[in-house]
Amino acid sequence: MGVHVFDTMGTMVSLRFAGSTAPASVLDEVEEAFRVFDERFSLYRPDSEISRMARGELPLTRASAELREAYADAFDWSRSTGGTFTPHRPDGVIDLSGTVKAKAMEAAARVLESSGETDWMLVAGGDILTRGDLGGPPWRAGIVDPDDRGALLCAVELVGRHTALATSGTAERGEHIWRTGDPRSPQRYRQVTVLADDIVTADVLATALVAGGPDRCPELIDRFDIEAITVDYAGHLTATPGLQSARGLTPI
Amino acid sequence: MRARALALSILSSAAVLTVGWQLGTQGQTPTVPDATATTTTTAPNGGSMSSAAAAPAPTPTAAGSSASATAPASDSASGTFTGTSVQTRFGPVQVQITVANGSITDVTALQLTDKDQRSVSISNRAAPVLRQEVLAAQSANVQGVSGATYTSDGYLSSLQSALDQAGL
Repeated sequence: MGVHVFDTMGTMVSLRFAGSTAPASVLDEVEEAFRVFDERFSLYRPDSEISRMARGELPLTRASAELREAYADAFDWSRSTGGTFTPHRPDGVIDLSGTVKAKAMEAAARVLESSGETDWMLVAGGDILTRGDLGGPPWRAGIVDPDDRGALLCAVELVGRHTALATSGTAERGEHIWRTGDPRSPQRYRQVTVLADDIVTADVLATALVAGGPDRCPELIDRFDIEAITVDYAGHLTATPGLQSARGLTPI
Repeated sequence: MRARALALSILSSAAVLTVGWQLGTQGQTPTVPDATATTTTTAPNGGSMSSAAAAPAPTPTAAGSSASATAPASDSASGTFTGTSVQTRFGPVQVQITVANGSITDVTALQLTDKDQRSVSISNRAAPVLRQEVLAAQSANVQGVSGATYTSDGYLSSLQSALDQAGL
């Protein structure tokens, strides 16, 4: 197995192949796919297009087609999740970080697929996208225990159409999910992991479920074709039927 | 994915229409014709977190007939209501809803098959689970770790970093 690790979007990306590592030219293209998104959409880069918008220097109407399209797409997600996912910070600034990393992962996947790479796992700051398998056995991902980041809650196999896994919560980058009321009420979700067919859906729904909490959970998991594992502030876990018997878990 | 989401929204709409019809006619028609043997519940919070499997198909309702229901005679509707079979792109669908004091507490698809002719349930509720064991990344045989986004600095102390260094 070959592993390639690089730094982008303020996080680390690990790309592993079931066989040998892809040629350097392919790896460069994968890194470039992330860089394009980072340069346009990062609020951590003062020179990015979205930072210029945040400072009021660039109106949305004069933004690039790529930015307007990404904003429209994030807005669609906001509508389809009943507003639990939002492309705006509480101060009104457009913040597309909820979808941009996943979009960059999709772009990287297109690079790998067009280069003929069939069996790989892409991990970007805790979000996972896979293709194929580990030369026979399926790719397997662990879900971090929010109470002990050196331990796993459970292990999930990425098989069939479920090739994308994303986790949202408050663990390392702090509270970047906007929610009302007492954010640390025992019933609130501290961490939510979503397994889906594509990484944008997994990422958006993980964020939406943390923001919406248990009240909105049944509606969201009924509406979208996803599996989910939730951890609340009291330490209680729930899982949808497809994950209730994931390794390390047992139904009550 | 979108196809299923669309089907679910159709189902939800069908359920709402069904209950709307039921609530609208219940006062005038205490005995609903063509009633099937549906169970009645008055539990106010019944089954909202249950992991419902597809219920067995009930006696088929004749095409074009009205929805069937059995409900207690009271001011606020409670009971289990079964809608007529509706043809969808996924095949025939029949929805059963449970109502407690006028609010829908559960929606179950009685007949729903996907393209592969398997029965599927529209109820995909998250139910409580327990941790069976504490898993270590190495022994769990995982190649990736999913967690809330780590920073470049945090990566160094992360499980993912350990896996990457070990070439696992």
